[in-house]
Amino acid sequence: MRCKRCRGPIVIEVRRHNAAFCRDCFLHYVGQQVTRAIAKHRMLAPTDRVVVAVSGGKDSLALWDLLLELGYQADGLYLGLGIGGYSERSREVCRDFAAARGARLVVHDLAVEQGYTIPRAAGKHGRSSCGVCGLSKRYVFNRAALEGGYDVVATGHNLDDEAAVLFGNTLRWDTAAMARQFPVLEATRPGLVKKVKPLYRVAERETAAYCVLKGIDYVIEECPLVAGNTQMRFKETLNQMEEASPGTKHNFLFGYLDRAAELLRVADDADLAECSRCGMVTVAPGDPAEEAVCAFCRSRARLVGEAARVATALPLVEREGAAAR
Amino acid sequence: MLVTARLRPPDRTVEVPDAHRVADLLAHLEVLPTTVLVIRDGALLTSQDELHDGDKVEVRFAISGGSGSGSGGDGRGGG
Repeated sequence: MRCKRCRGPIVIEVRRHNAAFCRDCFLHYVGQQVTRAIAKHRMLAPTDRVVVAVSGGKDSLALWDLLLELGYQADGLYLGLGIGGYSERSREVCRDFAAARGARLVVHDLAVEQGYTIPRAAGKHGRSSCGVCGLSKRYVFNRAALEGGYDVVATGHNLDDEAAVLFGNTLRWDTAAMARQFPVLEATRPGLVKKVKPLYRVAERETAAYCVLKGIDYVIEECPLVAGNTQMRFKETLNQMEEASPGTKHNFLFGYLDRAAELLRVADDADLAECSRCGMVTVAPGDPAEEAVCAFCRSRARLVGEAARVATALPLVEREGAAAR
Repeated sequence: MLVTARLRPPDRTVEVPDAHRVADLLAHLEVLPTTVLVIRDGALLTSQDELHDGDKVEVRFAISGGSGSGSGGDGRGGG
């Protein structure tokens, strides 16, 4: 098999496209997929201040690298989750990445700013560690981006992530969640920052290969709290189907985005309101007499007590490096 | 012939006999080829690449779970 683009010796096969690439053509292919995603959904304008939510993993670091290479003003935003040595190593990897590129890394920390860690939160009040982690990240990234004056938050969700989430939402027919699963979510009102997923066209294995071929050092170990995670089970199921029929995940996700997502988005008419505790945007309660409290404030109150019921401002733990511009 | 495969994560090492190509190695390990990268001396290998006696390769799982690397798809600040 030869490189689809230059006919040279290959380093990777991309079966869903019935293609294979040499190193340089594969990097070109990944960049092309990201450029196409950004253009199709008008994700980023050249002058936007972008913050990339980085975990130290392959997807977020590949995304940060790609956005910097494409010339965007992209800082990194790392949230310390308090998962022992795993969090410490993740932070170091992000720091090293930023330092090597003269990029700016903004660091926040759940324990310092909100009074809890993910391991402490795990299992309390019946919520999974991944559930609390996702909620915490969504809240902190949005709020930190607002307070930092960023126009857009970019996350490293890849094709496999998106297909697995869609699979789970479909199994439950969670149409409200499906309606919000889109490569771009505009800032529809004050208090919300635009969110984009420029890697949604790139498979998970491809972001890992991108990092290996670019020499990007990422955290290979899996989060110690992820065992038995539902999303992993969905991915395993989808990967079995993909093996038998390459393109299954691509067709599932892109068929949804092309033919069904818009219908559900129109039907998503949830009213939004301002959280009475922290002032951020949340779903308005069904009963207008009821106090609007966002999921993060409710969760945090359960974890650290009602005494600390108002989510604190986000003091910057540290900001490192000069901006790459 | 014997190939030493370091699988991660989680980190463990397995010795595999008679794996003449990467595809043989992955079949022996019962690993789906589309979920891993196979790396030898820092270079990516494809499923049809040949292996040699004494080769040391890394089989790196490229699939991760968790809450995602950022927003879980909900455009709202607090969910």
